[in-house]
Amino acid sequence: MTKYLWMAAISLPVALSFSVVPSAAQNSSVREESQGMVLLRGLPTLETSHSVAIVELDPESENFGAILSEVDQPDMAEPFHHLYYSPNGRLYTTGLDPECSLAEIGLARDASGAPTVTGFDCLDTGGQMVGEDIMWTMSNGTEYMFVTFMGGLGGDDGGSVGVFDTQTNEVVKIIEARKSQVGDGEPYIMYPHGISAFEDRMVVSSTIHPDLATGVGNSVTIIDLNTLEPIQTITVEAEKPIGFPSSPVEVLFARPSIHPDIEPAVLVNTMFGFETWSIPYDASSKSFGEAEVIYSGAANGTAVPLEFYGTEDELFISHALPGVVKRYDISKLPELVSSGPDIVADIGAHHMIFFSSASGRELIAIQNNLLNLGNAADNDPTDVDFIAGVNAHTITVHDLATGERLGTIDFKGTYNKGVENVEALFGSGFVHHH
Amino acid sequence: MSKRSLVLALSITTKARHILGTVSRALAALFICAGLGGQTLTAGTSPRPIEGFEAPFVFGRFAIPADNPLTQEAFELGRRLFYDPILSGDNSMSCASCHEQERAFTDGRALAIGRDGEELEFNSMSLANLLWGPQLFFWDGRSPSLEHQVLEPLLNPFEMNQPLDALVAELSADPVYPAMFEAAYGRLDEHSISRALATFLRLLISSDSKYDRYLLGDAVLTDQEELGRKLFMAHPDVKTSLRGGNCIDCHSQFVTAGFSDGFDGFSNNGLDPDADLKPGLAATTNYGPDFGKFKVPSLRNIAVTGPYMHDGRFDTLEDVMAHYNHGIVRSKTLSPLILEADNLVADPTAALGLRLEQHEIDAIIAFLHTLTDQTFLDDPAFSNPFEGEPR
Repeated sequence: MTKYLWMAAISLPVALSFSVVPSAAQNSSVREESQGMVLLRGLPTLETSHSVAIVELDPESENFGAILSEVDQPDMAEPFHHLYYSPNGRLYTTGLDPECSLAEIGLARDASGAPTVTGFDCLDTGGQMVGEDIMWTMSNGTEYMFVTFMGGLGGDDGGSVGVFDTQTNEVVKIIEARKSQVGDGEPYIMYPHGISAFEDRMVVSSTIHPDLATGVGNSVTIIDLNTLEPIQTITVEAEKPIGFPSSPVEVLFARPSIHPDIEPAVLVNTMFGFETWSIPYDASSKSFGEAEVIYSGAANGTAVPLEFYGTEDELFISHALPGVVKRYDISKLPELVSSGPDIVADIGAHHMIFFSSASGRELIAIQNNLLNLGNAADNDPTDVDFIAGVNAHTITVHDLATGERLGTIDFKGTYNKGVENVEALFGSGFVHHH
Repeated sequence: MSKRSLVLALSITTKARHILGTVSRALAALFICAGLGGQTLTAGTSPRPIEGFEAPFVFGRFAIPADNPLTQEAFELGRRLFYDPILSGDNSMSCASCHEQERAFTDGRALAIGRDGEELEFNSMSLANLLWGPQLFFWDGRSPSLEHQVLEPLLNPFEMNQPLDALVAELSADPVYPAMFEAAYGRLDEHSISRALATFLRLLISSDSKYDRYLLGDAVLTDQEELGRKLFMAHPDVKTSLRGGNCIDCHSQFVTAGFSDGFDGFSNNGLDPDADLKPGLAATTNYGPDFGKFKVPSLRNIAVTGPYMHDGRFDTLEDVMAHYNHGIVRSKTLSPLILEADNLVADPTAALGLRLEQHEIDAIIAFLHTLTDQTFLDDPAFSNPFEGEPR
């Protein structure tokens, strides 16, 4: 008998006693593809605090809607706002509280293997306030973390893009260009929110002053990633269905790396213009063409378009009113060619993630809260002022192919909290805003 | 995987069955019992959870058997058993004989050495981070759990050659073990032996290398290491001028082990032509396309775990990289991800290696050195508990 045969022989009992599959598959309870990271907003009138939590989102799970791990933020007046994973798997969040406008969240695993939220560290932003979006991209061969701060360093026309060292989280540069300080016709940065990039060009939007009263933007600004300086501001405003400036919110630099058939262009959703714009980009001359409206909410019965998310095949755009997610053939960008009927979520349709159920069904979970910013003088920005009308405080889960709603998690009804953001436990995929 | 039978049907000789029948039936009975959940902690036993246990999130989910939770008592018992030659039939070998901590629990030999001094079939695998990566153990994946895996070397007549009933008797007569087993499991039996050893192996977690600290933002890689990291993480694409070392196609980004889904963590990496291929995973699955596939090992502490490959054929990391760079051998089951990995030619049928430049090879090796975790290699919690103890 050879030694090799011995090894085969001793394996025989295994055949009698086990089905030989990897142990992760032997125990369905270890499945975590359907678990989501959520940022929860405490509701003052219901005496709850903000928190970071892990929630089960698979309607097929007996734990559907259960909070699996949670860390409270009892000392923060405003909640965290938007979660992002770095390319190295570190979890960051922007924050609405001036005391914590950017933070790194700790994640670990307990002795059962389950993910746990261990806490968070507020980062030094150099005075920049009201963090919104984050992206990681290169400048002169070095990767940086870029963060939009809608409040910037303060003031009526504030706003900045913070450039951070990806390892140390230290501020490398604050990109700021106040409209009141640059000359007429010069590029400026004001209330930046959305952010996206292609090659050596970055685009940020100009949305609204964090107090919702001082000012509203109507443009996007191009930043040269070679110099980290703004080089062009482009107005995206046409109809004013509610009388406000257009308030561009999220932007997506459609580019061939998303799909090889895409002609580069910047897509812009305008929160108060209810429109989606397209700004063509010529990569050879590094020039932007004339902005044009490619979707009108006023003409199509939708309002407050917010986010861009993508899968390999489709682009999804959320519209807070009436609470739908529209879907498009991603290969046809920058044209918006429908790829199927709207996914009917709840009022406030906003962020989303894609995952599969235990049975393998492809799903989309949609967070339905516009909220973000309210007037603290009104006591409860989520329940009192007009923003309450676009907050369902839910996450709805749908079949990705058909849009059929398979489940709803009512965070206000169940936990007395709103839901600020949802992110997949391991990140949402390749487009995700940027 | 859908075409594969999940139940193993191995072909063994009549002679082998005759010789090994008794031991095999004993092991089968043991694991049938475990598989049915018949063994749990005895009532009244209340071992302590591992104090302060925390594993890196990015390593991914791991599974702990319901009947063998991670406890301090089981870990301490498993550690003692691991280093104790009482586990071998003639009390000459312990697990640590082939798994030395300072070598990330390998032995520095091309092939492991058996109790008679002869070389065995395979290279001794590192025992670091077994919670992650393929959950089928040994180079050919023949063990479906660590509880099963730890008993094979004990029972193997060429290795420790220890009948389990005799081992239970020896341990029962020892002045220390009965109380430790009682505290950990409430009983001293074969199943508790395997559970304790498995617990010790599960807790051999290596997560404090320079790369780990880099991932946490606590360390900065040198320019050469960073180039190596980027090459490690990239599949080459000539069309887009993306240069890559193709490592991540088999070794995952954070754990740097094989993938844990199904049999994804097994690969034929182009070592031999068809005529010379060893069965590998096919010996376990009895499935032809698995012929020549072996477990993709963790690269944690790889700089101290040579020689390399399932048969230890390469002495150095330079030898390994030379293989991947220009020494790929075609065979029917060669990984398609290797077959098409070429930095010079975009032809999925032509690649015979990465064809990286020397400075890129050096960079990948520099990055591999950042996976060395000296904290793990020196951790007294994993060391020989008998040192300094009168025996």
